[in-house]
Amino acid sequence: MTASRLEHDWFSHPLPENVRLGERTWVYSSYAFRHYRSRRAIGLRVGSHTGIYQGTFFDLGPEAEVEIGNYCSLVGVIVATNGRVSIGDYSFIAHEVVIADTSWATPGPSAATAKPSSARASVANSLEIGRNVWIGTQATVVGGVRIGEGAIIGAGTLVTHDVPPFTICAGNPMRIVRTISPGKGASTR
Amino acid sequence: MGLDERDITGQWDYRSLPPNVRVGENCWLERRDSFARFRSEQTPGLILGDRVRIYTWTTFNVEPAGYVEVGDDSLLVGAIFMCAERIKIGRNVTISYHVTIADSDFHPTDPELRIRDAIANSPHGDRSQRPAIISRPVTIDDDAWIGIGAIILKGVHIGRGARIQAGAVVAHDVQAGTTVAGNPAIPIEGRQLE
Repeated sequence: MTASRLEHDWFSHPLPENVRLGERTWVYSSYAFRHYRSRRAIGLRVGSHTGIYQGTFFDLGPEAEVEIGNYCSLVGVIVATNGRVSIGDYSFIAHEVVIADTSWATPGPSAATAKPSSARASVANSLEIGRNVWIGTQATVVGGVRIGEGAIIGAGTLVTHDVPPFTICAGNPMRIVRTISPGKGASTR
Repeated sequence: MGLDERDITGQWDYRSLPPNVRVGENCWLERRDSFARFRSEQTPGLILGDRVRIYTWTTFNVEPAGYVEVGDDSLLVGAIFMCAERIKIGRNVTISYHVTIADSDFHPTDPELRIRDAIANSPHGDRSQRPAIISRPVTIDDDAWIGIGAIILKGVHIGRGARIQAGAVVAHDVQAGTTVAGNPAIPIEGRQLE
């Protein structure tokens, strides 16, 4: 279902037409789409019972497609991509986390002088955050990485390569701190 | 809806803070909203010493069971307190921009419990069903200096006069008088004062 205006919104702009929000999903404001330029049929699809909280921004290029699952929390996250980003069910992403595909994250000598159109068009990225992933505050996830189911990313971690499922990863450079044993019935994996 | 400039220039009435907040002599608290997420039900829930200066980028996210104490002459530029139990800042401590100080991870690590947490925390969820969280108090001693963007995690004790460099992620105690940097933070110079 598409809500063109959020009932509680203070920002005067409507939601973009190619955004889909599931039942009982809450978005703090259409201000989250201030830098949204996706021209895909569906630029952002959010499942049900998900909270998109204050300070979250979808900084999407024209080719971007972002999918967010059910029961997720995004507590002030910047999603910057011109490719595909997916976030699985139950994932929790804390404040000041940046999730960016490589074409945006490595702008060259200077972000101000880079040629964004060519740089962005040259890379077709797919960044995948699995189900039940927890990303701590101020972590940065860049490039076409995959974060496996149930993984935990520590605060301030720079994630530049894949994270195995059910591990805790932290640091810069990132390392695997330990693995997590899923509790009984935690996963059907 | 009008903006009252006094609310963002430190000229608001500090007596309008909750009764469990004690403000010392000659404090300067720039922005009223720094205390908007102060939900402590402790008595006291927050003590600010004398001559404490708190800039606009500071926020006190304090849970009902939380207690924060800040010593005399400390300067909080952009301290983001995430407090479930106790955070204690000594005297003459300097805390820079975007510094997160958290005495809890606020979520469980067990994957099964995290799914329960996600459901209880969802926009229409029942927060009373959230699993219990672990907290361990944070203590920052006198004369410490915390650089831009550092993150101080639960259970950490930062010794007197220690320096935490910009961007450091501090998960373990820091000895008095030492300088640490990096993620995870490790000592780079200095020796103990005591």
